[in-house]
Amino acid sequence: MKLKMKLNSPKRILYLILFTVLPKLSFGSQQPDALYTAANSYYAKGQFQHALDNYKKVLAGGTTSAALYYNLGNASYKTGDLASALLYYEKARKLAPNDDDIYANIRLANSKTSDKVDEAPELFLTSWWKAVYLSASADTFAILSIVLVLAGSALLVTYFFAHAVMLKKAAFYSAVVLLCSGLAVIFIAGRQVSYFEHNRQGIVFNSPVAVKSAPSDDARNLFIIHSGTKVSIIDIKKDWIRITLNNGNEGWMKVEDLKEI
Amino acid sequence: MSQKIGKQKMFKRIKVSYLLIMVLLLCSGALSAQRVQFNASVSGNDVATGEPFRVTFAINGNGSRFTPPDFTGFQILSGPNVSSSITSINGNTTVSNSYSYDLVAVKEGILTIGSAFIMVDERRLNTNPIRIRVSKGQPMQQNSQQQQQRQEEMIQDNTEDLSKALLLRAEVNKTNVYQGEQILLSYKLYTRAGIVDSRVDKLPDLNGFWTEDVKNQPQQVQWRTETYKGLKYNVADVKQMILFAEHSGDIKINPFEMTFIVRVAAPARDIMEQFFGSYKDVKYAVKSIPVVVHVKPLPEAGKPAGFSGAVGKFSIQARLDKKELKANETLNYSVKLTGSGNIKLINTLNVNLPADFEKYDPKVTDTIKEETNGVRGNRTYSYLLIPRRQGNYTIDPLEFSYFDTSTKKYVTIATKAFAVKVNKGLVENNVTAFSDADQKDIKKLDKDIRSIKTGNAGLNKIGERFYGSQGYWLLLLSGPVLCALAFGFRNRNRKINSDVVRVKNRRAGKVAARHLANAQKQLAAKNTAAFYEAIFKGLYGYLSDKLNLAVADLNKESIVDGLKDREICDQLITKLLETLDLCEMARYAPVTQLSELEVLEKAKGIINEIEDEIK
Repeated sequence: MKLKMKLNSPKRILYLILFTVLPKLSFGSQQPDALYTAANSYYAKGQFQHALDNYKKVLAGGTTSAALYYNLGNASYKTGDLASALLYYEKARKLAPNDDDIYANIRLANSKTSDKVDEAPELFLTSWWKAVYLSASADTFAILSIVLVLAGSALLVTYFFAHAVMLKKAAFYSAVVLLCSGLAVIFIAGRQVSYFEHNRQGIVFNSPVAVKSAPSDDARNLFIIHSGTKVSIIDIKKDWIRITLNNGNEGWMKVEDLKEI
Repeated sequence: MSQKIGKQKMFKRIKVSYLLIMVLLLCSGALSAQRVQFNASVSGNDVATGEPFRVTFAINGNGSRFTPPDFTGFQILSGPNVSSSITSINGNTTVSNSYSYDLVAVKEGILTIGSAFIMVDERRLNTNPIRIRVSKGQPMQQNSQQQQQRQEEMIQDNTEDLSKALLLRAEVNKTNVYQGEQILLSYKLYTRAGIVDSRVDKLPDLNGFWTEDVKNQPQQVQWRTETYKGLKYNVADVKQMILFAEHSGDIKINPFEMTFIVRVAAPARDIMEQFFGSYKDVKYAVKSIPVVVHVKPLPEAGKPAGFSGAVGKFSIQARLDKKELKANETLNYSVKLTGSGNIKLINTLNVNLPADFEKYDPKVTDTIKEETNGVRGNRTYSYLLIPRRQGNYTIDPLEFSYFDTSTKKYVTIATKAFAVKVNKGLVENNVTAFSDADQKDIKKLDKDIRSIKTGNAGLNKIGERFYGSQGYWLLLLSGPVLCALAFGFRNRNRKINSDVVRVKNRRAGKVAARHLANAQKQLAAKNTAAFYEAIFKGLYGYLSDKLNLAVADLNKESIVDGLKDREICDQLITKLLETLDLCEMARYAPVTQLSELEVLEKAKGIINEIEDEIK
């Protein structure tokens, strides 16, 4: 027994050290923000692979932001991984649909992919409406809606307690206007969220990928797409994804050739 | 020698020509050089049908209006072929002209070619007629075939001994080279026999090489003696080329094929032949042995970024003709590349010129010599530049990289940098004052992604969004909840307020009773004015409380409206109004219709009735 105890005690100390010191080492020095700043300085020095690794660590830590995805996209682009760059840019776009830099880089990266997909023209009303609900991020809309609703409520309260008729009138009408616009903003934010939820898209990560007419290896090849092309996901069936291109072509491709945005 | 002649006829012809030469030599003294002569000659007097021969009419002066004879019995293959020559010796100029025809005899027998005429200084000269004996020959086609057959036999007969007398060898100065390194390929002819004629059958297709012919070779083949395999040969370089391997690997140089007509000794047949020696011409085809060149690829290690495939040894020099100039004036920038190697394969130089300089495609001037020791020389790139804007510019050094075959390393050489000062240029006269001719579109040089976002990362948990979160809905609901609370609070206040009215209402009768009691007191004190005032106040106060109206707002109309709303019958209202009028009047003037006591009773009655009827 005594012998065992003696053997055990160094182990215990080791475990103690492991459990107390290691988490501190791993979390203490690698705060997401610190990692992010380090990655940015690597990028500035032109060490894109280092920058990419650090950005990925931030992501692996469970935190993200539009800026992080955007920078990840840039680092991937600089290391020559066009498909990953596009994937990250699109993810960034989802979080910040109104960011001009993201659009510019998507356009440039897209021009370097091998497939040229002309987008089918949209009805002008659709594109206007889209421009409205993609004009800010969902969270911005959320904050705006809260401000509007609270302001409207405050005016309504003023209406309840005001004695002067003019003040009462002004307070009532402006409260109605503010509350209505608050509701509209909530609706717009909801539209944006549902747009991104229903328009599931993916980036092709293999080259070349044969898009088939049915979810089976024996099916006919309809067309060939290459790495970096953006496709819309219609349906997922086990190993196969039904996709459609922006120009309207449809077909089935393997799950492993696609990464969802 | 391409004429196909049978063995027999060939010998005959040789004899004839010897005779002719002897005759001409003997006669030469008798002939005067100054006299204009017009002669006809044939290549052979004895011909066979179908055998081509040549008839020539020669004049040693200028003649005009040449009239050929009638060639009946002959077919003209070609002609007249006119040739003229002018020679000037010690101031004496002699001109000679000749007209020749290639003929074929059509029928056999003795045929005569008539006289040809020509006018010289108003004199008409004529040639002597020539007699030709035509024997029966083989039909043309068959004849040549047979001849060829015979010739082939002849070649086979002689191949054995000729293979040692005539060799063709391909030689390269290096067999292990780098890609792009120059190799000298020489085709050498080794011969111990007399060569009459030669023809190149097949030049090797040097696939995998860029070739340059060596050009400084003398026109005449230079013979030298060399010993090869124990035998002495006359050696000549038939063809020399410089090769540059285009890809790595073993590249085979295919054989070079030539056909020679070799004059070999033949046994003499008669005295003439013994005297002059006898020989025959033999056709013999030779091929060189293929050579394999091992080409190594250029090493990847240390390959400079701007390497464009130059191999050899080079130097570079740049020159700029002006250091200072005005805008829109021309500037010449020339880069001279000197060295040996694949200089001709260098296409463009990546010159770094300021973007504001208008650059034209360079003029490339080569002074390159292809010699046996390699392709060497210089290539000059002249760039015409036009600076369009004033300013101080620098033409960056031009870097040029090549692979040095002697050190087996990449070398990068650079020119020096030049500073150019561009002054303000003259404004052209034809430019109108309002035009923005001085402005230019901004040139887009390159495309790149926009840079990363620095600053606050704004990191959130993945998948977490403020919109739709509990906090969001709580905050959003707080507004309406606040409103609802406020609404409730106001309503409760109102309710409390409305209770005050009810209290007032309830207490109205009592207040009125107190006023009326006061009135009774005043009546007892005989104070009439105070009595009526008390009644008036009592009634007004009562109505004010009952109808929830301020005393100030009370008048006949509002009272009537208020009471009617509360379903009081008109009779009672009229009675009330009469009483009020009476009280008002009685305050200023004595009233006679009713006694004070009656008025008091009436007021009491009215209040009681309203109390009963009011809802």
